Amino acid sequence: MGTNGNNALERRRSDALVKHRESAETIVSPVGDIYETSDAFVVKLDMPGATKDSISLKVEPGYISVRASVGLYHAEQANILVNEIVRKSYFREFNLGQGINHNDVQASFEDGVLTINLPKTEGSKAKEIQIKS
Amino acid sequence: MAIVRWNPARELERWPSDFFGIQREINRLFDDFFHGGTQADGDFGVSYWTPAVDIAEHNDEYLVKVELPGVEKEDVRITLESNILTIRGEKKKETEEKGKSFHRTERSYGSFQRSFALPTTVKSDEIDALYKDGVLTIHLPKAEEAKPKQIEVKVK
Repeated sequence: MGTNGNNALERRRSDALVKHRESAETIVSPVGDIYETSDAFVVKLDMPGATKDSISLKVEPGYISVRASVGLYHAEQANILVNEIVRKSYFREFNLGQGINHNDVQASFEDGVLTINLPKTEGSKAKEIQIKS
Repeated sequence: MAIVRWNPARELERWPSDFFGIQREINRLFDDFFHGGTQADGDFGVSYWTPAVDIAEHNDEYLVKVELPGVEKEDVRITLESNILTIRGEKKKETEEKGKSFHRTERSYGSFQRSFALPTTVKSDEIDALYKDGVLTIHLPKAEEAKPKQIEVKVK
């Protein structure tokens, strides 16, 4: 692992692993859709069980990361008859291409879905060229 | 007897007598194998997915949790029939697709259905369901006769 601290990505990964060991939860990479419109990239991540306050979204030039904790679904003394939902926290990161205005990123959380709007910089928006005669 | 390649469409020719049998079989397969997965049926243009479910038993109730991110409350139906709890619904794709080019689609869309037989009877008129942060929580209070009772036996 990046002991010299130069490799930022390695460092982030090892942070995540340490967190994993401490909490005995599974770190789940939330599934997502990514689409592009004329003026933004939009990322939608399914994160059921997270809450608006539990989500931390970090944006840096060229990089974005999402982390969220999920509360317990059951009291300790409950007798679990069916167990398909894993105890988890969420973590996912994306490398961003050029042409994203990372200072103006917006996010919302509704019905367990995190929507991140990454606006394009003016220079990277598609332009329609009118053909003259 | 010759070995013939199985053709699911041929099974459908026996419709309607066999159709529901096949549907049951498909539901069973989905329940068994596709937990949290998705399966698109190209022939019929319908896609299914299987939301993950937890069921916990408490002294006085059953507590059901279903992960349904992105599903609207109005699109979920919960029914209880002869002690079988069924949760069904649909996760709709966003209708506005114009001007969007998708780079990645990992999320599941389409219809879902899960059914569970409850071990004891519940008070069907006191079932309570809440949908919050993509998780559906259903409280099913046990019927009085199903609750555990502590009986003191006097030793003479």
